Amino acid sequence: MMEAISLVGQSSGRVGTLMNSSEELIARARRGEDEAFRLIFDRYGRPVISFIYDMVGQRDLAEELTQETFVRAYKNLNNMRDETKLSTWLFGIAKNVARESLRYKHRETDKVGIDDDRVIELSDGKLPPDRQLLDKELSGVIKDALGALDEDKRVVFTLKVFQQRSYEEIAQITGSSIPKLKTDLHRARAEMRRRIKPYLGVGYEV
Amino acid sequence: MKCEECEVLIEDYADGVLDQKSAGPVREHLASCTSCSAFHQEWTREQEIYSRYQRDVEVTPLLWSSIEARIKQERAGARDGMLARLRIQLGGLFAGPRFSPAFAAALVVIAIAITVVVMTLLNSSNQREQLAGTNKNVASAGPTAEGGNPSAKPPTPDAGRKEPEPSQSVAINAPTEPAPKKIPAAKLVAARLTPDQLVREAEQKYLAAISMLSRDVNRHRSQLDPIMLARFDAALGDIDRTIKDTRRVVNDNPGDPIALQYLLAAYSKKVDVLREMTAGSEN
Repeated sequence: MMEAISLVGQSSGRVGTLMNSSEELIARARRGEDEAFRLIFDRYGRPVISFIYDMVGQRDLAEELTQETFVRAYKNLNNMRDETKLSTWLFGIAKNVARESLRYKHRETDKVGIDDDRVIELSDGKLPPDRQLLDKELSGVIKDALGALDEDKRVVFTLKVFQQRSYEEIAQITGSSIPKLKTDLHRARAEMRRRIKPYLGVGYEV
Repeated sequence: MKCEECEVLIEDYADGVLDQKSAGPVREHLASCTSCSAFHQEWTREQEIYSRYQRDVEVTPLLWSSIEARIKQERAGARDGMLARLRIQLGGLFAGPRFSPAFAAALVVIAIAITVVVMTLLNSSNQREQLAGTNKNVASAGPTAEGGNPSAKPPTPDAGRKEPEPSQSVAINAPTEPAPKKIPAAKLVAARLTPDQLVREAEQKYLAAISMLSRDVNRHRSQLDPIMLARFDAALGDIDRTIKDTRRVVNDNPGDPIALQYLLAAYSKKVDVLREMTAGSEN
């Protein structure tokens, strides 16, 4: 379903190529077809960079780490054991890359101010200005709240809430047991809820 | 269902991961309990808020360009590194006087013999075709000097040395044909096969020869000097690693002539060493 949505507006040839299964793309990429790896990036680049951004909270660093994730993936294509779980495998690499980065660098609190132009650029322009402002502010709050979670909770929260991964997939990505994941997620949600509570009743009537 | 029980299940219920059996009572409880229902509504509102989260990051064409450039860099680096390692390994194998001087002369003889064996193996299919064609002529010309069935002999160095004889008989029957006839046949075979297929064919020949020689060597291992045996085994280990590495490079770059050259050179070297071991056990 998600794939079908992502195909809207693309040329038929491109659509046909994008319909390649993960297994097929991996096989082609292993044979050295650069275009196949490009398609893998097209398909998973956005979720991977979003996940990494949620982990590290900095745009430049997230881009750098996404680059590293895909380069590592390319180098290790032959070591992938289950080709049907390409996205799980990619998220696993991304998680390792992000964690390594967090381990070696002091995390800088990259607080996005209310007047930050970068956030305004991201608004799609279709929402009323007051709603845009609220979304921008709220995004800053969510980002800061994410940054305040400890790593384990941040990983599980991001993968479950933002990436809609199942517990089984998250367990494979993190190597944690499902009961631990559920506990971490419950606590992460409670912490996040406390921080976004002021916004729960404001201007979000859908 | 009590509120405490509902609290435990409500997140899984809202996530949609509860089975029907467990989801039913939660649904009923939410319909009757204002407190739990309020929590469920708040939870739903939270999800809506999270869905509006805007990240200060995007997938740009520049990002892919950077990845692509790094992949190319890695690939070139890996290939250069691999070839450099192979050069060192093979250089070491060829340069170092690893074996006793007593083997030096034998090495030359064996190298020649191996060349004959390999050539015999490579040309065996051509020869069979030629012999099949010429046998009719030979048969019509009368009894042969070699006993009539050279193709039944295994591809040994002896067989290689006798190779000119069938050619001579061909020459007797068709004086203008023999030498030029062989070259076009080989060219025809080459024309039908791609370089990759030719390499694979050569590889198969080498593997067959290695398999034959390995059997011989294993039969006579006990007759080899233990120190010499250890050296041979170390050399074989080096060569096997080289073959493995080179094979990987060839798989990554099937058309790379240098990699192909190294692969066949590595097989050839293994055949050489196995021949030496066989000769050593005979000595």
